[in-house]
Amino acid sequence: MLTKIKNWLDVRIGLNTIFQTHVLDYRMPKNTNLLYTLGFLAVIAYATQAFTGIILLIYYIPHPDHAFRSVQDIMTQVPYGWVFRQMHAVGSNLMIMVAMLHMVTVFLMGNYKRPRELTWVGGVLLLILTIVFGLSGYLLPWTQLSYWATTVVTSMPTAFPVIGETVSQILRGGDHVSETTLSRFFALHISILPPLYLLFMGIHLFFVNRIGISATPFGKADEEKRPLTEYKRKTYPDGYPYYPRFFQKQMYMMMAYFTVMFFIITFLPTLYFPDEANVPADPFNTPQEVRPAWYLLAPYQLLKLIPNKFFGIMLQLILVLIFILWPVLDTQQEKNVLKRPVLRGVFLSLIALWVILLWWGRS
Amino acid sequence: MRGIMRYGILSWILLFLLPSLGTAGYKKDFEDAFLTKPWAGEQIEENVCISCHASQTMKPEFQEITEAWQASWHAQNRISCEHCHGGDPRDAALAMSPQRGFLGTPKDKDVPEFCGKCHIGILTNFLESGHGKALKAGKKAPNCVVCHGSHNIQKASIDIISEQLCTKCHSYERAKIMKVALFVIETRISQLEQRLQKLKREGIYPGADEKSLFSTQAEFRTLFHTVDANLVRSRTDEFTSKLDQIDKNIQDTYQKLRFRKNLSAFFMMAFACMGVIIFLLTKTKDE
Amino acid sequence: MKRRRFLKILLAFLGSITFLSFAYSFLKFLTSLPSKSADLQKLTIHKSDVPSGEAKNIIYHNTPAVIINRPDKGYFAFSRTCTHLGCLVEYSKSNLKFICPCHAGIYDLDGSVVSGPPPKPMTAIPLKIEGETIIIG
Repeated sequence: MLTKIKNWLDVRIGLNTIFQTHVLDYRMPKNTNLLYTLGFLAVIAYATQAFTGIILLIYYIPHPDHAFRSVQDIMTQVPYGWVFRQMHAVGSNLMIMVAMLHMVTVFLMGNYKRPRELTWVGGVLLLILTIVFGLSGYLLPWTQLSYWATTVVTSMPTAFPVIGETVSQILRGGDHVSETTLSRFFALHISILPPLYLLFMGIHLFFVNRIGISATPFGKADEEKRPLTEYKRKTYPDGYPYYPRFFQKQMYMMMAYFTVMFFIITFLPTLYFPDEANVPADPFNTPQEVRPAWYLLAPYQLLKLIPNKFFGIMLQLILVLIFILWPVLDTQQEKNVLKRPVLRGVFLSLIALWVILLWWGRS
Repeated sequence: MRGIMRYGILSWILLFLLPSLGTAGYKKDFEDAFLTKPWAGEQIEENVCISCHASQTMKPEFQEITEAWQASWHAQNRISCEHCHGGDPRDAALAMSPQRGFLGTPKDKDVPEFCGKCHIGILTNFLESGHGKALKAGKKAPNCVVCHGSHNIQKASIDIISEQLCTKCHSYERAKIMKVALFVIETRISQLEQRLQKLKREGIYPGADEKSLFSTQAEFRTLFHTVDANLVRSRTDEFTSKLDQIDKNIQDTYQKLRFRKNLSAFFMMAFACMGVIIFLLTKTKDE
Repeated sequence: MKRRRFLKILLAFLGSITFLSFAYSFLKFLTSLPSKSADLQKLTIHKSDVPSGEAKNIIYHNTPAVIINRPDKGYFAFSRTCTHLGCLVEYSKSNLKFICPCHAGIYDLDGSVVSGPPPKPMTAIPLKIEGETIIIG
């Protein structure tokens, strides 16, 4: 029966040839490890967020008078609403972690180097989009935590001399966070960001496939020599077929992802919900500690440390810019990070600094 | 070409950094820049009454008033001078003007109505009580301030009924009877309060139960002001059943939370097992 | 080979159980709306129970409520829970207002806040009048 359906489809789409070239004959380099699946994991994380988000959309009401109550209803009244809400909340944090891990491994393997610069740029843009997703979604439950963290974040552009105030006004839709802000962030979160994200994800995956997977051994003797004059896709004729081995690796990591997600939901359900996340927003009452989410704590702490707020924000922007343009700025040919102690040292200490700033920002 | 690009980018970076050569105290400046109006929403407005009464030119007794108020439960709920004494807290000239409803300090006999502007249920019960009737008749009797203080007013608790306070006018025996009558319900209410707090930490917002508990507590406490132990005892059952309902709701919620933990643990185990099976599958295949 | 086959069957079994659990949860999520069961509990009282200008305290869905007969505008029902901190408001015939005894929150007979700390108007409860009976809910 199944064969009949396959044949029917094959006559019309040529399904068999597609399957043959892209799944059965597609060869992965021999020495891939689990870290190569992180990109796929990010896609799965995004899909989970999209599904649970759409499910939550069925009961959520995006107006300050009803937002908090509707989320509470999802948690307490709607059958199994809590499952989907927890999956969405925990998933958003896990997705950012996965995206960051993916970025770190790609960087350490030097996979941003030519001819893969565009892939890297797309990836950083995707990371930024993911963080904007997190920011816009954070406001939606309309809790004390949401309201005040958003207040702080939307005030940061005011550090810019001329356009700062206008930018903040556009972000907030007014002088302070209100129902206009909520509508704006909601529109951003469910209708502007998803297609943008899908677009960039599609482009990113297209690039990855088009230029070929990058894998060791690296070295100056590598075929990616200067100057690059023609397009050449990297293939691994003596590698192993994508299916079933690499596919199994990806499935395994997917199971690990969901295990971690449900571990947090079972044993640490309030990990991402401090006390202020359980009370409705009160515009007249600033809580003692106003902090953004963990993935923004390091920039937040940096901002607090630098005496001049304009300098603080500029520094952050410049760091992001350097990050995006790194493939262009990094001029050394050597791809193997083990042979580049300076880069390794600088990168690892930057990560350590990031973690330290994060920890500091928690107190 | 590559060299020029690097220098170009670096010089843009320097150009942006130039304006930021100023310095300032960091934490305070950050708070001032980001956590105060107009975007912070919270409007901390200047209160003229406090500015004068807290200043050095005032008598020490008046200065103490502002400190006492700052420590009070009223202050935490943003009830300030003008809510009780009238007057205009934003206009120094009219701050104490009768035109703006300034009432000054009430006389002892008039204190119940002064506080009863807001606490009207308690006023009604107090005036019916032995204490209230004695006060209005001009005899030696307590008004609100005697038990609760005037400016450093804290959240009411059963410990206000104390030997030290009540023996000022009569034996402690009568006060003890009252305290005993109140004790059971009061303890139960504070236990339920704590359990509701705990529930909130688990991520559930028990809005309706919180309101119901507050309402029950308020009704119970206004009842105290009649200083009629019999009345309190006769209505204890009624209050107990209300508290029982709240208790039951809390129990139900904990049960729901247990079910949730089980269900998500089931999902976690399912995914973990599938992960293990896939891992085993990779091992059993010979290449 | 037998082991692989066993593992694959086990995987399929676990996978379908997980998938079906999610599907079941999702279906219940979509269909079992709590308000459906609440609709069954409607309260019925007679017009004669609430004379003109008077109000009657009732219990609706375990919450204290009040139904008022306004001479000019007819019957209205509200939840008695004050929107400030939850005390029960009382109808004052002399002032033609609802007054909360805890912190003097005052609502007019439409349920909207006139003065005091309440942040929101009283929650209205819909009612229907059929002949001589009033159906609340």
